Amino acid sequence: MTFQTLFAASGHIYLGNTLWYLIVFAILLALVKHYAWGPVSDMMEKRRQKVINDLDSAASDRKKAEILANEREAALKNSRQEATQILSDAKANAEKTSSKIVADANNDAASIHDKAKADAAQAKVDALNEARGQVADISVAIAEKVIAKNLSAADQKDLVDQFIKGLNE
Amino acid sequence: MEKSFVFKFLGLTFDLTGIIGSTLMAAVVLFVCIWLSRKVEMKPNKKQNVLEYLLDFTDNIVKDNVGDQDAQKHLSLYAFVLFLFIWFMNMLGLFMEVKAGDYMFVKSPTADPVTTMSFAMMTLLLSFTFGMQKFGVGGYWRNYASPVSFLFPINMIEEITNFLTLSLRLYGNIYAGEVLLTLIGNSLAPSFGISTLILAAPLAMIWQGFSVFIGSIQAYVFVTLSMVYIGKKVTKE
Repeated sequence: MTFQTLFAASGHIYLGNTLWYLIVFAILLALVKHYAWGPVSDMMEKRRQKVINDLDSAASDRKKAEILANEREAALKNSRQEATQILSDAKANAEKTSSKIVADANNDAASIHDKAKADAAQAKVDALNEARGQVADISVAIAEKVIAKNLSAADQKDLVDQFIKGLNE
Repeated sequence: MEKSFVFKFLGLTFDLTGIIGSTLMAAVVLFVCIWLSRKVEMKPNKKQNVLEYLLDFTDNIVKDNVGDQDAQKHLSLYAFVLFLFIWFMNMLGLFMEVKAGDYMFVKSPTADPVTTMSFAMMTLLLSFTFGMQKFGVGGYWRNYASPVSFLFPINMIEEITNFLTLSLRLYGNIYAGEVLLTLIGNSLAPSFGISTLILAAPLAMIWQGFSVFIGSIQAYVFVTLSMVYIGKKVTKE
């Protein structure tokens, strides 16, 4: 194959075509860049950025959620502890109050009992004293009646003493 | 051999076959690109997916062979358009060959060494440009003499062989495909009447399918080697 036949059937080296291809290719480059390559690669880049952003924000959201969950768990634990504390406090208070009430009641009862005892003793003494006075009166009245019947003083005294003895028993 | 319509304009010789074919395919590439990218959305639709797949494909060719980040950005568009353009030009001759009299009007422009050399030259010039941008003019020339100075002539010859192999590989593959297709269609089919006509139809079909495969591979190889040559210029060895 000679050099002539290599360059097509015409036998010419057509440099004009080379120029034409360059021009056509340059125009094609510009047009494709403007209409297809530019917008599509822009969009691909945007999408890439969006995916990166989405991944980043998802990661940070997850971290936030984790922190929140931890906080909530801690708060729950705290409130449980507080509830237990409150309950035990209330129990202790109630026990203290109840024992105090019982002690007070016991004291009151004891004092009432003592007072009643004292009152009773006093009443007895009073009653005895009153009885003694009345007995004296009665005895005087009796004596008067007995005197009327001529009773000796000794007899009278015996009489009174016997009477009082009888009262004391 | 078919004649092609040649005319002279402004002192330059033009071959109409190549001009018609390349212009036609440039228009097709442009319309396909515009059609596929009519609605560009954040959530891609089907057409946009096709375009993005193609773009990813050529971008990967660029990224695999060019280490420089700056050059990658610039070469993405070049690789994308070059791949589509060469692929469509490879396919043109498979389904359409227009002949008027003795003159051939439409066939694959890439079945012509001038076309493939034009594109190889474009790559070569681009590689010079990128290399000089990266290392400066002096640094660029010094790279020819690295790692040892006596390699300078060998590196210079390599430049020419790169250019020739890049262009002639594509030309040879597509041209051979077309020759065989023409042989099957023009010589084998009518040779023994109806029997060879029936035989030739599946043969032509098989060869066309194979040529589609070869055309795609060659477009891929052309773009890949272009990127390899440019990549070599922007990385220090």
